[in-house]
Formats: sequence, structure tokens, C-alpha cells
Amino acid sequence: MSAHGHAEGQLPHEPEKATLEGRNKILGFWIFLGAEVVLFGTLFSAFIALRHQVLDGPSASELFELPTVFAATMILLTSSLMSVFAVQAMHRHQVKSMIGWLVLTVLLGLAFLVLEIVEFNTYVSEGHRMNTSAFSSSFYTLVGFHGGHVAFGVLWISLLIAQIFKKGLTVVTAPKIYLSAIYWHFIDVVWVFIFTVVYLMGKVG
Amino acid sequence: MSGNHSASGEEVRRHKVEGPQKHIVAFILSLALTIIAFAAVAAGDINTTFTYIILVLMAIIQVFVQLAFWMHMKDRGHMFPIICIIAGVFIVFMMVIMAVYWLWW
Repeated sequence: MSAHGHAEGQLPHEPEKATLEGRNKILGFWIFLGAEVVLFGTLFSAFIALRHQVLDGPSASELFELPTVFAATMILLTSSLMSVFAVQAMHRHQVKSMIGWLVLTVLLGLAFLVLEIVEFNTYVSEGHRMNTSAFSSSFYTLVGFHGGHVAFGVLWISLLIAQIFKKGLTVVTAPKIYLSAIYWHFIDVVWVFIFTVVYLMGKVG
Repeated sequence: MSGNHSASGEEVRRHKVEGPQKHIVAFILSLALTIIAFAAVAAGDINTTFTYIILVLMAIIQVFVQLAFWMHMKDRGHMFPIICIIAGVFIVFMMVIMAVYWLWW
């Protein structure tokens, strides 16, 4: 009987790992992240190899503006912290504050996307298009892929918030919240390499 | 029966007291590493090779901080995630070396 202490609907203390299904989801998600590392790695290797092939287009040091990149970095870093707080609130079973942190995560993700769209728009007006040079193609593919991941994360977390409103926090919904946080941190980790390799090293030359 | 319950409740609470402190520390650490990297580039007049070394070092430290604290890799039972990520990084290293070798030499 005591082994079934959660039968009255009380959540276990780490609801995302309470069921075999939840644990399997986490395991599978890490395999996916290993594959994501390879995906971004190939895009990085293409970018690193091609980043000086600018043809007639602007070079990296002419193009990039550090304040914008710094703002984007801060937004994404803060967003990552918000999703940590969401998972901690989930562990304390505080559904309302968890939703609050998730909403903040999504809003900061959207702010990052807006900044990136404005940035790309500026680049295009400065003659840095997808088909300008090998540098521009590999730049838009790499950074755009990351932006696409952010957009997917925003959509995913928004849908999870809706699902929490509908179904509440259970051993079924908890692994999803946990994994979306892991995904969001992974996006932030990839961004660390992007701002280092693409923007800062591009600025140095 | 109820005694049993409160005991497991206490155990739950004991497991649960993972405060936000270490995550805030990880955040401040990431912030500092980011600012160092940006400052090294914004300063401009430092030796290029030295700037590169600073940048790569800051990025690697920050990634380790975030993987360990935010993605829970330092917690128990995370051997499999570590293997997954190391396998990915291994392939990436081969890929980067191959692409650079192919196109630059």
C-alpha cells in the first residue's frame, strides 16, 4: 500500500522520471540531442571552412554589430534561466508559477526571434543575401537553422502550456515540460558556439 | 499508515530542497564568461591569436557550465546522456577537421 502512495493523485517528487515511459522519453531525447550535435556540427564545419569566401559581398567584420549580438545572447541566456526555474517549480508541484516561468521563456524566445529577423533584414539590405557568396550561404544556413530551432521551441513550449491548462501537471505531461527545458538549454549551448565562432571570430577576422 | 505517509513526505521534501542558488550561480558564471568574450573582441587591439584562444576557452567553459548545471549532467544516472553528447562531439570533430583540411590545404 505504501508503495502505491501516489495512488490518491499525489505527484511523486520527480514526476518526469516516475514512469518507465517518462524515463524512456528522456533517454530517447538524449539520442536525439546527440544527433542534433552532429547536425549543427556539420553546419559549423561548412561555415568554418567557407567563412572567408566572401566574393563581392561584405565580409564578416564589416557586417556584424556586436551590440545586437550581445543583446540576443543575453535574451537567450535569461530565457534558459527561466526554463530552469520552470522545472524547479514543477518539482515543487507549483503549477501556476511553472506556467509563469514557461510564459517568460516563450516571450524571451520570441524577443530573440524578432531581433534575429531584424538583423537578417539589415544584412539583406546591405547586400548580404543567401546567394551572395559561400560565406553568406553557410552563415544563413547555420544561424537560420538555429533560429528555426528557437521558433520550434517557442511553438512547442506554447503548446505545452496549453496542454497543462487542459490536463494539468501529471506523470504524462511532466516529462514533456522537463524535455522542453533540456531542449531549450541545448539551443542556448548551440548559441554559445554561434556567437563565438560566427560573430566574435568573424569580427576578429 | 499515516506515519508511513508523513515519513515518505519528509523524504520527498528532503529530496526536493534543490534551491535556485546554483542555477543563479551558473547564470552569473555564463554571464561573466560571455562578457569576457565580447570584451576581448570589443577591445580590438589585442593580438588576434590570443583573442581566439580566449574566445574558444570561454565558450568551452560556458558549455560545460550549462551542460553540468542546466542540463543536469552532473546529476547521478546521466552516463547515457554524456555518452550521447560525446559521440556527437567526436563525429563533429572529425567533420570539422575534414572540412577544413579539404578546403584550406
